[in-house]
Amino acid sequence: MKTLDVDVVVIGGGSTGVGVVRDVAMRGYSAVLVDRVDLAQGTSGRFHGLLHSGGRYVVSDPNSARECAEENAILTRIQPSAIETTGGMFVCGPDDDPAFGDKFLAGALANSVPATEISVAAALKREPRVNPKITRAISVQDGSVDGWQLVWTAAASAMEYGAKVLTYHKVTRIEREGDTVSAVICHDAKTGEDVRIGCHFVLNCAGAWAGQIAAMAGCHDVEVVPGRGIMVAMNHRLVNTVVNRLIHPSDGDIIVPVHTVCIIGTTDVKAPDPDNLPIPREEVQQMLDAGEVLIPDFRKARAIHAWSGARPLVKDSRVSAADTRHMSRGMGIMDHSERDDLKGLLTISGGKLTTYRLMAEHIVDAMESQLGTKNACRTAEEPCPSPEGTSTTYHVTHRLHDREQDRMADQILCECELLSRRMFTDKLAEQPTGSLDDLRRQLRLGMGPCQGGFCSMRATGVAHEVGTVDIERATGLLRLFLKNRWQGLWPILYGDQVRQTALDNWIFSGTLDVEHLPEGAEVV
Amino acid sequence: MTDVVVIGSGLAGLVAATKLALGGKSVTLISKGLGGLQLSQGTIDVLGYAPGRVADPIAAAASMPAPHPYSVLSSDAVRAGVTYAAELLGDRLVGDPSHNVLLPTAVGALRPTCLVPPEMAAGIVTGGIQYALVGFRQLKDFYPQLCAANLARQTAPDGGPIYARAISLDLPAVADMADSSALAYARAMDDPSYRQKLASLLKPQLAEHEVVGMPALVGYRDRTAHRHLEELLGHPVFEIPLPPPGVPGMRLNEALVAEAKKAGVRFVSGAKAVGLVAEGDRVVSVGQATAGRIRQYTADAFVYAPGGFESGALTLDSYGTVTDTVFGLPLHGLGQDLITADAPADQALFRVGVGVDKDMRVVDTTGHAPYSNLYAAGGILAGAIRWTEKSGEGIALASAVTAADSILKGA
Repeated sequence: MKTLDVDVVVIGGGSTGVGVVRDVAMRGYSAVLVDRVDLAQGTSGRFHGLLHSGGRYVVSDPNSARECAEENAILTRIQPSAIETTGGMFVCGPDDDPAFGDKFLAGALANSVPATEISVAAALKREPRVNPKITRAISVQDGSVDGWQLVWTAAASAMEYGAKVLTYHKVTRIEREGDTVSAVICHDAKTGEDVRIGCHFVLNCAGAWAGQIAAMAGCHDVEVVPGRGIMVAMNHRLVNTVVNRLIHPSDGDIIVPVHTVCIIGTTDVKAPDPDNLPIPREEVQQMLDAGEVLIPDFRKARAIHAWSGARPLVKDSRVSAADTRHMSRGMGIMDHSERDDLKGLLTISGGKLTTYRLMAEHIVDAMESQLGTKNACRTAEEPCPSPEGTSTTYHVTHRLHDREQDRMADQILCECELLSRRMFTDKLAEQPTGSLDDLRRQLRLGMGPCQGGFCSMRATGVAHEVGTVDIERATGLLRLFLKNRWQGLWPILYGDQVRQTALDNWIFSGTLDVEHLPEGAEVV
Repeated sequence: MTDVVVIGSGLAGLVAATKLALGGKSVTLISKGLGGLQLSQGTIDVLGYAPGRVADPIAAAASMPAPHPYSVLSSDAVRAGVTYAAELLGDRLVGDPSHNVLLPTAVGALRPTCLVPPEMAAGIVTGGIQYALVGFRQLKDFYPQLCAANLARQTAPDGGPIYARAISLDLPAVADMADSSALAYARAMDDPSYRQKLASLLKPQLAEHEVVGMPALVGYRDRTAHRHLEELLGHPVFEIPLPPPGVPGMRLNEALVAEAKKAGVRFVSGAKAVGLVAEGDRVVSVGQATAGRIRQYTADAFVYAPGGFESGALTLDSYGTVTDTVFGLPLHGLGQDLITADAPADQALFRVGVGVDKDMRVVDTTGHAPYSNLYAAGGILAGAIRWTEKSGEGIALASAVTAADSILKGA
């Protein structure tokens, strides 16, 4: 068995885990982060893309509101490439109570969340597709954030400070010596090898899976309730700023412009298993109905993809165990030295992507307090390395600008997302064992209207041509990518996306006969 | 007023219109735009899988169960349809309607089809064949290594081995451009001097007995391009269809449009057909949504060949309702789980369509024909998943020729 020795093992490669490993590394500890799959493959990539202004919580959860407002400004400074400063609005629908707006403004003022009421005319001028029957509008500083970029840039910063990031390493066992955690045993899914990581401390940042991890250390009954929410991406940006409904947090109360699409979210249903998150038809209908309130004829726009994510909610005895909507969005740190007489293990649950950095700071503080050490947290001061060395926030026309520069010299593999061959081969060189979906999350391969219709064969061909994958793996990668795209397509298949699917079927089945290729590799 | 109005300019519409015009009818063809043929792979598929690989598509078509269009059409009708297209297109198609062949696809699968353009014929797989697959660095829709490696993993139907290797050429279609479409290459290949340049790069790399596979771009309008390239190389050359727009499909489309025009078919393109006017059980006219108004086209008979979901003739709305967007005809194949988590190509939704009797007259779900003079053909017909079966052209041709014959016979 391969062995490693570090101070701290962080389990979970979502936003919490990378925030924690970055903070730990910046405070001078040797650290390794492990995840059973790729970074940000779970909840951190399966949300609506909102960078909270805090407005959503000014009435229901003032503490979260204040934190969101502060962290929004910090993240925009330290991870600009992941963030688009779209701005946002809360609008009062025709049947919503206008008096809620007064509570909203009072809460915003009390919690330092910037918010200004604007006229309905000004709101409609800013977003012409918004329902003209709205009665009030409040402007806030919402943004949109690419969870994958956020996580990868934070991971890059951690690695600059010496942290190791081991993806596709599934934790199989947590060992203890006496009353202290001593090692984490992982199985490397890509090589089939087991790895023993000796350590003094384990930070369990496994999100909706944190209960399963805690149990491996003998700490039972850690209840993290996965709150499942669905999101639907609509083709094009129907709005260019975030549009929220001016009501108490509810299902389908927000539309977020993210990259070339806009996303409506979300539902909140207790999920028994975070590995099995359905996208029920009735919830899709619910999203479309909710969209109609914010944007008339929302249903007639083209839905291109849907997904489901599992919020890691802390079980709170004050609310019903089935009511995940009203469970705290705040974070919970469980110290197992008090709860289970096991030193060197903290379990983290709850929280929001917007406050991931602050949450990491609290967790690492808690770790240091148990260790009896104290180092300053510097994660808010120092920017993370940016992929193209840019220091400006994301703009939706960035890639168009880049392709204007290299259009004669390079090919565009994915026209929907303006992805060049060079961008693809560079990322492939960084992640040669990645699946096309792993590369997709960082490159947006196949995430536009054609949903991989034209680019997936090209990506497969290039990966095979440059020698990174053999033919069995190439065929397996193509099949898996198409299968995974379909998972998010069929629940929202209607309108023009049916027509697109028919064209894609003519390409893959009709012209290329992909289903009759010889077998591909089963594990890719 | 014409004798017949045909709606749709895909394979079914073009062939039905031409047959009717050659049979002495005055024909107006109305269409929203170019038909789907230009997006196709350019072969005549009759039946490739049912669900196992089919050797004789005409024989296999006869045993397709209801509600497949072939269960309504007789095998004679299938043969007549395919034969008619072969006669109409002359030397643009080769092959035997009762015998499928296997051709390499761009990713290296072996795809069954029936009639093929002569530009593809040298690629028909036989045991021991030695493929040299040629790609261009500036063409992103064909990866010769991928194609070769998958082909080399398979055996020919006779059990013999398949040899395949890849050659990459650094030859742009347009000077200094790294990203050119197959159509740009096909236009470049219309120039004999470009073919000479290609041959001078390629010929030294070829070995004896190799059959040269190229992406389908060996000339767009110059029909001598393929033969010329074979002469220059001294090797047989075949084309491999790429994702759309497909050059072989465009060639077939242009040839069929020319035949239809030669036969006297009048084309009115650029606006979608919308709605029909009926008197009793007869359709009197159909509308076309031209600028500012709906223009009515009256006729004695109507052939409805608008395609399926891919053309926009059928649509599914966000509430799950499937509609014929042109005439609102009763649809067959509804009333079950139309979309499931199963493979995208096999969804029941794509079997939904219009039902017909043996004369190709449109019928409702009880088998009753609401109109005595409305016929349907091609992709709008219910009961088949054409891309999986590799049956699109066969269904289109058999139904178009049957519908035209019904009208010509005064059925």
